[in-house]
Amino acid sequence: MEIPNQVKRIRKAMVTIVEAVNLKKTYMLGKVPVEALRGVNLKVENGDFLSILGPSGSGKSTLLHLIGALDKPTEGKVFIEGVDVSTLNDNQLADLRRKIGFVFQFFNLIPRFTARENVELPMAINGLNKGERRKRSEELLENVGLKDRMNHKPTELSGGEQQRVAIARALANKPSFLLMDEPTGNIDSKAADDILKLVKRLNKGKGITTIMVTHDHRLASQAERTVHMLDGLIVQEKVN
Amino acid sequence: MKVSDILSYSFSAIKLRKFRAGLTTLGVVIGIAAIVALLSITQGLQETITRQLETGLATNTLIVSTSGGFGAGGQGGANSGFKLRINYTKIIDELSPDIDVSAAIVQRRGWIKSGRRELATTIVGVDFAKYADIYSSTFVNESGRIPLNPESNMIVIGRRVNDPWKNETLFCNVNDDVDIIWTNTTTFPMENETYSGVVTAVLKEVGGFGIGGPSDSSIYIPLSQAQSFFRTDECSQIIVRLKNSDKVTIDNVSKAITDAFSNQVSVISATAVLNTLTSVFSVIELFLGGIAAISLLVAGIGIMNIMIVSLMERTREIGILKALGMEGRTVLLIFLSESVIIGLIGAVIGIASGWGLANVVAIALGGGGAFMGNGAAGAGGIVITPLLTPIVAIVAFVFGVGVSVIFALYPAWRASKLKPVEALRYE
Repeated sequence: MEIPNQVKRIRKAMVTIVEAVNLKKTYMLGKVPVEALRGVNLKVENGDFLSILGPSGSGKSTLLHLIGALDKPTEGKVFIEGVDVSTLNDNQLADLRRKIGFVFQFFNLIPRFTARENVELPMAINGLNKGERRKRSEELLENVGLKDRMNHKPTELSGGEQQRVAIARALANKPSFLLMDEPTGNIDSKAADDILKLVKRLNKGKGITTIMVTHDHRLASQAERTVHMLDGLIVQEKVN
Repeated sequence: MKVSDILSYSFSAIKLRKFRAGLTTLGVVIGIAAIVALLSITQGLQETITRQLETGLATNTLIVSTSGGFGAGGQGGANSGFKLRINYTKIIDELSPDIDVSAAIVQRRGWIKSGRRELATTIVGVDFAKYADIYSSTFVNESGRIPLNPESNMIVIGRRVNDPWKNETLFCNVNDDVDIIWTNTTTFPMENETYSGVVTAVLKEVGGFGIGGPSDSSIYIPLSQAQSFFRTDECSQIIVRLKNSDKVTIDNVSKAITDAFSNQVSVISATAVLNTLTSVFSVIELFLGGIAAISLLVAGIGIMNIMIVSLMERTREIGILKALGMEGRTVLLIFLSESVIIGLIGAVIGIASGWGLANVVAIALGGGGAFMGNGAAGAGGIVITPLLTPIVAIVAFVFGVGVSVIFALYPAWRASKLKPVEALRYE
């Protein structure tokens, strides 16, 4: 078996992809301040498959948004590949997000675009020309097992298929890591298993660093490492 | 993101809401069409009138009349008892070597009677030889012959007196015996006076009107006959032809004439009339253009409205785009280019349909016949040919696209400033 060796080789480099230092986030819910994060420390190395587990309201989505450079912390710092996110302006943040592969619970595909066009979109945003986009989107969709469905629109695809399109889209710009927010939360269990297999294959086979937020214990245990969150804090961390 | 990709993205968003985009475009179309139609009709009208005037009164002629008559303020000419007399042409001829010839015109409202029918007309007494010399392009016979040494009963008639209804149902023709009638208001009670004459010539159609120059709805009788028939030695106007038509000559001669008559006459040059007309028309154009611009403004508000609705509907989509790494300015450009596409299509269709509308209106008015007709003969209509100058087309185009951009700026800016997390959470 070649693949585990490859993973090991990557592991050896031990490059920190994501680091959260004393992360705090306070929202204003009307006039009431809500502390969503109360000091979170987290480190994700290259090739990791980390799951963040916690009930709703535990702050896991907030953490995901901060790690994904979609939002800014009230206190503390997020480093992505060593870059302090808080020092970046809006345009630099946008550029940074191109290196992050988002997968959302509700897929968030553009309904008027076909599967292939959806996969091409991040590459278009990144300024790739049409030829390259076509070629790569075909490869990616083939990789997630949707080669024969690529000219279908999201409404013509099942939930599992849509999520696979979303994963292909997340991989389009060769991201540093995948960030998945309840990726199986909206699809049936059979399709969920397929998705999970796909994610594991990508992680093990291609060494793609993956961070997955979920409230499903069964799903979380599939990752190499799980952190439990409760009330805005990491309360437990274990290697599966 | 490449410009072509931005455009195709915007286009796909428009295509998704065809009906709504169509209505928004219609707003722009109406605004632009109104501007183009109004301006091209006005410019066509100006062009037509200017051309008519240029043929009707040669640019090297001056028209002398009592100053009160033309309302030149402060002179008190009309009240001072000053009368312009026929024999003043002799004085005027001596005033400047630049003066070629001058001719007096005696003019009264009256009727011409042929058989049992009567037609209201303007009776103009002129020296046929001089008048034909000055208006060599318009005082020309269509049929018959204009006598240069006319007998007193000879009459030259305008084309609309010959054929008032433009359908070859002739009122009178060459060699017909006619009666000329006018009402003498100086006697009490007023009295209709009549003499019999014979039509010796019909003028070629002049079209429209001419200040001082020949008119289709007038009849022309020898000056001496007019003097005795109207029992007057006063004239309405004296037409002066100059050897040159440059501004200096016109100004010098005008001043010489007004000075000679102690400011009791006013001198109007064709050039001055044309200039006045041009400035009047620019005011009209500005006014009409302004009214049309209001409809474009309404279209602009429509665009803004639709873009804000679109912004609401697509908040989540914008969140996705931002999560995928799209910069705020690219979001701004996508929204602006949607509006620009609408503006472009609207402007092009608007210019085309405005031009079409102008032609329809022109045909409707031209067919109506009596638009801007002069005289009681009534049928001296002007046919307007709408004129779409490149400037009007370009201005309309720039306006259409400009309005679309300006009114889309705010929604586009708001879209570009959306926070990714909040946009993604938006339901």
